[in-house]
Amino acid sequence: MQMTANIVEAAQPRPHAPAAPAKIRLGGVSKSFTVRGLETRALETVDLDVESREFVSLVGPSGCGKSTVLNMVAGLLSPTTGDVFYDDAPLRGLNARAGYMTQKDTLLPWRTTEQNIGVPLELHCRAVPRKELRERVSEIINVVGLRGFEKHYPAELSGGMRKRVALARTLIYEPETLLMDEPFGALDAQLKLLMHDQLQRLTMQRQMTVMFVTHDLAEAIALSDRVVVMSARPGRIRVVRDIPLPRPRDVFKIRFTDTFSALHEELWDELKDEVVKGTDV
Amino acid sequence: MASTPIAVSRAPVARPDDQPSAIARFFLSPVGLITARVGLIVLLLVAWEGASGRLVSKYWLSSPSAIAAKLWSWIADGSLWLHLHATLLEMGLGYVIGCIAGVVVGLILGFLPTVYRVVMPFLGGLYCLPKIALAPLFVIVLGIDLGSKVALVGITVFFLILYSTLDGIHDIDRDLVQSMRLMGATRREVSIKVLIPGCLRWVFTGMRIAVRYAFTAAVLGEVIAANRGVGYLVEANAGQFNSTGVFAAVLVLVACSLTFSELLTRFEASTSKGRSGL
Repeated sequence: MQMTANIVEAAQPRPHAPAAPAKIRLGGVSKSFTVRGLETRALETVDLDVESREFVSLVGPSGCGKSTVLNMVAGLLSPTTGDVFYDDAPLRGLNARAGYMTQKDTLLPWRTTEQNIGVPLELHCRAVPRKELRERVSEIINVVGLRGFEKHYPAELSGGMRKRVALARTLIYEPETLLMDEPFGALDAQLKLLMHDQLQRLTMQRQMTVMFVTHDLAEAIALSDRVVVMSARPGRIRVVRDIPLPRPRDVFKIRFTDTFSALHEELWDELKDEVVKGTDV
Repeated sequence: MASTPIAVSRAPVARPDDQPSAIARFFLSPVGLITARVGLIVLLLVAWEGASGRLVSKYWLSSPSAIAAKLWSWIADGSLWLHLHATLLEMGLGYVIGCIAGVVVGLILGFLPTVYRVVMPFLGGLYCLPKIALAPLFVIVLGIDLGSKVALVGITVFFLILYSTLDGIHDIDRDLVQSMRLMGATRREVSIKVLIPGCLRWVFTGMRIAVRYAFTAAVLGEVIAANRGVGYLVEANAGQFNSTGVFAAVLVLVACSLTFSELLTRFEASTSKGRSGL
């Protein structure tokens, strides 16, 4: 318990933090996996609160349990100890209030781009009329820059394009919470910035709560209200840092500001030890 | 150093397939290909006709001319159509029944993993059982008419389709199911939008393979006990030691299997063009 480093930051009040209870709360959560009789500790005890409408990024070396955290918030995994609370209620089973964009794109291979993107709106729980479905699909296709690829099957798209289809499919139904696991890893640098811009716009406009996993520290700082740096396996929180950059941010230029550079340097100092440790393993 | 002379000596030798000879080029062209195939058949028939009665007794080997005459007599008196119709009807009915039952049971077992776990060993045993062993039983229960052959074809096709459907469902990426559930899909929606379309490709593959098995099962059923059908023609003529009749009936079967094979090849070509995403 003493290892939970969020204590470091817990004393500092967050300027933007509302009085409302946390949207997502990880309360003393840890996770171990048993593979062939060998117990591996993927995640040490972690405590973390994510406020409603907050954008929180998790950064850390490979295998530090970032994805495990998202899987638990999505309800795909249950913690070994502790509990995940969503809207103050302990999470049991799948969390259908969160849209989860996993690292692996889970597009349906027999559906075209537009059919894949429209899937969430075909479901009974939020079925929309055919006309509205078409309009919203068309709109989101513009947002992610896939115009001209509406009739393509996933196998005919590049990795980056498939990621964007998955992103569009997650954004189209406007879940109140977005869980994103390295959504932009496969994109080139320019496209990545465009996606950052769109993501910021959509999440602000639709007042989404976001948990965002990435390797890319600059991306995490540019997008987030708070950045959580995690340690190498077994993962735990090393530091939680507020990002006091005003919104809306110009994601194209923000990385050239002094505040950004200072934050980047500070967090990189925290991260680099862990990356070195992580690669030794 | 020892390898150097070998390498040098090899270098100037052109590979024979670099430049196909004029003859090879002719046989690779469409006209040449047909010429070659027809030529091969004619050559075999002439050799057969020549050998028959001279090298080997006509009693064993018959002869192409006698077989052609026999076939013609069957066409003329309409018996060929009667037998062909019987075989194709048994095959068609058994195939359709087997496919429908296979897909339905496959989907049910696919959606109810617990039931599947219980019945799995029994199904496995029946799947591996040579279905032809059941033919006498079908004859006892259903008689020597249409019914016993439809049952034999049906059960053969059923197991093939059942297992392709199950394989299809088990092959579906669990992550696809999970992501749909996270979007709020009900179990029913997951079935309709993921499981069924996901296993279709497997079902179609099974259905293509099953055509060949259905044909074999129908003919075998007729060979065992029947009063009509092409398989019956083979068996009845063999019973009378009439090798001409046996060869003529086998020739009809060859024509059928060539037709099925050609139709399936065309069908496969047309479907594989459609959806590269599948």
